[in-house]
Amino acid sequence: MIRIRFHGRGGHGVKTAGRIVGTAAFLASLQVQDSPVYGAERRGAPVAAFTRFDSAPILERGVIDSPDLIVIADETLLADAGAAVLAGQTSAAAVFVNAPAGARLNEKYQILPPLVTWDITARTQAVLGTASALSAGLAAAAAKLTGLISAEHLLAAVREELRQLRATADVVDKNVTIAAEVFDQLSTVRFAPAASGIAGEVLTVGYEGVNLGTASILAPGNAQQRNTGTWRVERPEIDYDVCTRCGLCQLGCPDGAIKIEKNGFPVIDYDHCKGCMICAQVCPLHGIARTKEVRSW
Amino acid sequence: MRVAREHFKSPKGLPVEEYLTPGSPLCAGCGGLTTLRLMHKVLGENVVIVNAAGCMTLLATFPFTPLKSSWLYTTMASASAGAQGVRDALDILRDSGRLPPQEDLQVLVLAGDGSTYDMGLSSTSSAIHRGLDFWYLCYDNEAYGNTGFQLSSASPEASHTSTSIDLIHQRKKDLFEIWRAHHPAYLASVSAHDAVDLAEKVERARSLRGPKLFLSLAVCPTGWGFDPEWGDELAHLAVETGVWPLKEAVAGVVRHTYIPNRFRPIADYLEPQRRFRHLFQPHRNEAVLAQMQAEVDAYWAGLGTESTLTPRAPETEHAPRV
Repeated sequence: MIRIRFHGRGGHGVKTAGRIVGTAAFLASLQVQDSPVYGAERRGAPVAAFTRFDSAPILERGVIDSPDLIVIADETLLADAGAAVLAGQTSAAAVFVNAPAGARLNEKYQILPPLVTWDITARTQAVLGTASALSAGLAAAAAKLTGLISAEHLLAAVREELRQLRATADVVDKNVTIAAEVFDQLSTVRFAPAASGIAGEVLTVGYEGVNLGTASILAPGNAQQRNTGTWRVERPEIDYDVCTRCGLCQLGCPDGAIKIEKNGFPVIDYDHCKGCMICAQVCPLHGIARTKEVRSW
Repeated sequence: MRVAREHFKSPKGLPVEEYLTPGSPLCAGCGGLTTLRLMHKVLGENVVIVNAAGCMTLLATFPFTPLKSSWLYTTMASASAGAQGVRDALDILRDSGRLPPQEDLQVLVLAGDGSTYDMGLSSTSSAIHRGLDFWYLCYDNEAYGNTGFQLSSASPEASHTSTSIDLIHQRKKDLFEIWRAHHPAYLASVSAHDAVDLAEKVERARSLRGPKLFLSLAVCPTGWGFDPEWGDELAHLAVETGVWPLKEAVAGVVRHTYIPNRFRPIADYLEPQRRFRHLFQPHRNEAVLAQMQAEVDAYWAGLGTESTLTPRAPETEHAPRV
């Protein structure tokens, strides 16, 4: 069995990437499972998707904690402990990161398996005109690295999955172009596919009383410990020479990530600002500028 | 035309306290979160939220919560029943002296439109009927947003959802009127764009005992398909085009709290949203747009002639406990 775990941010298309690989494997007459993490698929938030395929029936269920391949759509996730993108990496034959070829990430992030990088973002930006919809490139990388899926099946799966998402013919064609290019340029990794069956032990989960069986959070307002600033693509910056302290940016911020100081001036909390840029739009004097967040890629 | 405000004159006059911290996992630009944050500011800190399953489930994602107030999670259909249980428990504790009166909590149901318009309508109807003393905030993003934007009975005509064809002829359920027919103590529609109007309504409802119900149009960048930065502007356009009237009903009597002097065409509100894109591309569907415009026009033309329900004094006491 091959177990692939995709990591990205909501909007990158990791769910679709997992589906494309699943459909491609299905077209190759393999047994397939694919599923995204359900319920937390926020735009910009860390998300994951899982694809398993095998020549024998797949009995395993749930999240993949011993992946054969880890595919990471965004390098910044490596720095986010909560996203746990390298969990179980010792079982992996390779880690793929969407980053420029030759990016030296192994030591920086303690990546143990062989690292493969390719700049899907740049290629997607060039062909599709957007840097966020990476599904075709990510799926192609996964398919090629495993060496078990043909280009023909991959490209048919890209067409099928994007058609279901109501993509226009032009967008489908461009995604096929990206997938074909990524597939062509990467090399297959040496895999020692895990035996069929179930990894680890099978656990039986019993019922517990309400105090133990129900999650309780006893620390009010502790979400501040979560850094949602990493979701940001653009960074709002207040021009204090223009600001009249009207407070509209503070009221309009969904997350309450703008504080009003004692002197009446608003201050943006960059550890939590998700970069929605509503503040820049509601500022009556256009006194909030936007800059691209600097990313290592 | 804007009605005179008694409590809040300008955005600067709103309470500065925050009862939600940043760091929640909700989408960037979530209009529902803005509404909740503003409403909580005015309600104050002594609140227990009874949360129907929906997008706001993600507020408290174990082991984190942005709330400084209390929170209880229920199924989609049972939030108002949960509110009854919490209210009763608080009453018993307070009346028996085990809860100091200053620590008493206001019970706030927080539910999306899927819960409010569809699954939870029955339990809310019952709670209003029993005269339950509670607050209700519906963040209406016009579909089942948390699960992938499936059609709800709050989805507007001709909007695309993941489970509907493009030109559904189903109309958005008029929940304001359904609730009003129950004679709640207070009922209002609000918009996060007009924070002062929202705050004023919460303050006006505060002194009333019984159901205090709020419907908020919650702009949804993810489901509606627009760049998050335009969230406030779309909320604004919904009001200025007349699609989302701002009004209240005290003991059944309706009053509009803001009426645009000159209505903008509804296309201004629809066109920026992906869920209405098929009305504009590849060809502008004039027939459907004209029909939708006519429906909005008819609403405002009928203003003042709507059947006025018999005013009834707000509930002064709970219905007796069984």
